[in-house]
Amino acid sequence: MTGRATGRFPGFDVLGQRRHWDEVTADLVTSRTGPPPRPRFFTDAERVSAAALLNQLTGQCDEPLGVPVMEMVDARLAAGETDGWRYADLPEDGQAWRDTLGYLDMDAQARCGTGFADAKERDQAAIIQAVQDSREWHGMPAPRVWSLWTRYACTALYSHPYAWSEMGFPGPAYPRGYKNAGVGKLEPFEVRDARPAEDPVGDDA
Amino acid sequence: MAGVRDRNESAWLLPNDGSRTNHGLRRDMRRFADTDEIDMVIVGCGAGGSVLAQRLARAGWRVAALDAGPFWDPDTDWVSDEAGSHHLYWTEPRVIAGSDPVPMGSNNSGRGVGGSMVHYAGYTPRFHPSDFTTYSADGVGADWPLDYADLRPYYAAIEQELPVAGEHWPWGDPHGYPYRPHPVGGNGEVFLRGARKRGITAKVGPVAIVNGRFGNRPHCIYRGFCLQGCKVNAKASPLVTHVPDALARGAEIRADAMVTQVAIDRHTGLALGVHYMRDGRERFQRARMVAVAGYSIETPRLLLNSASSRFPDGLCNDFDQVGRYLMVQGAPQTAGRFDAEVRMYKAPPPEVSSEEFYETDPAKDYKRGFAIQTVSPLPITWAEHVAAQGHWGGALREYMSDYVHWSCLGALCEFLALPENRVTLAEEKDSHGLPVARFAYSQCDNDQALVEAAQAVMEDILHAAGADEVITIKRYAHLVGGARMAADEQHGVVDRDCRSFAVPNLYITDGSVLPTQGSANPALTIMAVAARAADHLTGTD
Repeated sequence: MTGRATGRFPGFDVLGQRRHWDEVTADLVTSRTGPPPRPRFFTDAERVSAAALLNQLTGQCDEPLGVPVMEMVDARLAAGETDGWRYADLPEDGQAWRDTLGYLDMDAQARCGTGFADAKERDQAAIIQAVQDSREWHGMPAPRVWSLWTRYACTALYSHPYAWSEMGFPGPAYPRGYKNAGVGKLEPFEVRDARPAEDPVGDDA
Repeated sequence: MAGVRDRNESAWLLPNDGSRTNHGLRRDMRRFADTDEIDMVIVGCGAGGSVLAQRLARAGWRVAALDAGPFWDPDTDWVSDEAGSHHLYWTEPRVIAGSDPVPMGSNNSGRGVGGSMVHYAGYTPRFHPSDFTTYSADGVGADWPLDYADLRPYYAAIEQELPVAGEHWPWGDPHGYPYRPHPVGGNGEVFLRGARKRGITAKVGPVAIVNGRFGNRPHCIYRGFCLQGCKVNAKASPLVTHVPDALARGAEIRADAMVTQVAIDRHTGLALGVHYMRDGRERFQRARMVAVAGYSIETPRLLLNSASSRFPDGLCNDFDQVGRYLMVQGAPQTAGRFDAEVRMYKAPPPEVSSEEFYETDPAKDYKRGFAIQTVSPLPITWAEHVAAQGHWGGALREYMSDYVHWSCLGALCEFLALPENRVTLAEEKDSHGLPVARFAYSQCDNDQALVEAAQAVMEDILHAAGADEVITIKRYAHLVGGARMAADEQHGVVDRDCRSFAVPNLYITDGSVLPTQGSANPALTIMAVAARAADHLTGTD
């Protein structure tokens, strides 16, 4: 992690615009910054594995954003709030989460003799990367497992105003709307990218 | 526009005080008893069901439209937020299978009064005349039992009722729109610039978003959350375009009523009404006629779940046609990176489109074609696009922090209607104890060739506009088919007027009757087909 993800939009804070949002939306978005709900779905053992996995997937090991992704995923699973479908070759979402967290622990035991949560961060990352690189993983289609994990992780992270601030996205826009749409145009409350030429791919090349 | 108000007063029945719902109209709504034999009970209050209800109520029919979801109030039920809009989607369990399974939920499945049009982008193109004869012209897909000219007056009527804004449309059957095109944001600018450089014609529109003021519906405020339900009442959905007029003309909209079975008289073979669940109780609404409008997954599921001694394999399924020929459009989405800030979220996602590649090109080795449109994903859907490149952890965050620099186009590829792409019943049951839908989908070679061609054109346009990097995610969009119309009962479920071949007083008036899909977003055509069926029913066609 390079540390470049943060700080591209100096001084930009989505929550500073709260007074311009409709009340229903404002209450919902603000609630995400309060204390997270106590986990109800994951068991104690699953909880620590899930937290480790989700912090890895959302880049919060090296650069915490303070987004309680594990608790947010737990709340969805406890409420049965699925995406409205499951793959025929994967169990329903809740069971698939339990199964795959167990497999992560098995992989960690085999690799470093600990549970997944207690493995070193680089070992955790290697175990996760192996799932992304596989066709099959513990008898499951690995791309489907990857899809399940990343869908839940991204939905949680990018529903959070801290993540919006990091990407320069102003969040809710009702009833105010936008008046200055168009390439290069800003609203008074938007902040220009401080490092516009920092194309992620350009840096890797 | 005076003529519109005489036909459909919805926009004038909404409040003009800054709130979005006419509560008095809902409170004073006519309510039928289950024991009343009403003229028509409609299952589903989306694009098809709402138009039918409004037309029949206008003709004096006693009509009730039942919907499994809520009767939305945009002020209190909807938010300017992606994750907080989860309840707009049909998220009851469904199983997806086949070699190319199609995700459901937010992608294509609505819930509640207004249906999927509550969360569609707002594009409302017409089908092209060629869409109705793909089999005889190209040997693919199917020929419709009606043609473009049969739908043309209904297209024009619905375009006025929504109403649609856009430039003069040069493709298919050239036509104009009742409202001028919207100004474009950064994403639309990029598309227009790249297309111009490549000699590709692109036009602003056609979108069913008010440009100006329409009745008591205000001008769009360009907040970018079209897919989360329009809190402004500017984007058209049946909740604001047809339901208010239906209520004022004596229709009942019965929300939170999940229909579980269509009942058939085993002596006469006629439909008697529908069984439904409301407030945890089983109920039965009697009706002289039944119209099913639950869209391409739930309509076939309801028919299959309505098996009886007369129809042991499912209602209207004597020839194994129910659930078949279900279509989705291939919807690859290609994004390009610019040093300038595009900020694509600052305008409605639907802005600009091109239908230049819509028709079969004899020089290509594939049949039919694709359309290209702006799409402007918000952070969660944009994260899906970025994660599809394999990025996770720090790399994902880094890419995501670059959001304001990206422009995004989407294609709609005409995937072909294939018999094996279908809905059947799964072993799994829902909370009512009913088998859930299992939707199997597999692409054919023509489908894959279209996706590749569309991706290449989008990459080319974005590069021409100045993008230094392009990334693509392969997705699907929309649903149609599953209970298609055909010339006879061996090839489809309903006739050209949406009447089922098997049960003379049972109609299907939703997207599931479409035999082909073109490269057009289907909402307008679904409404036009339902409006035409209504004219047939009321004897005004």
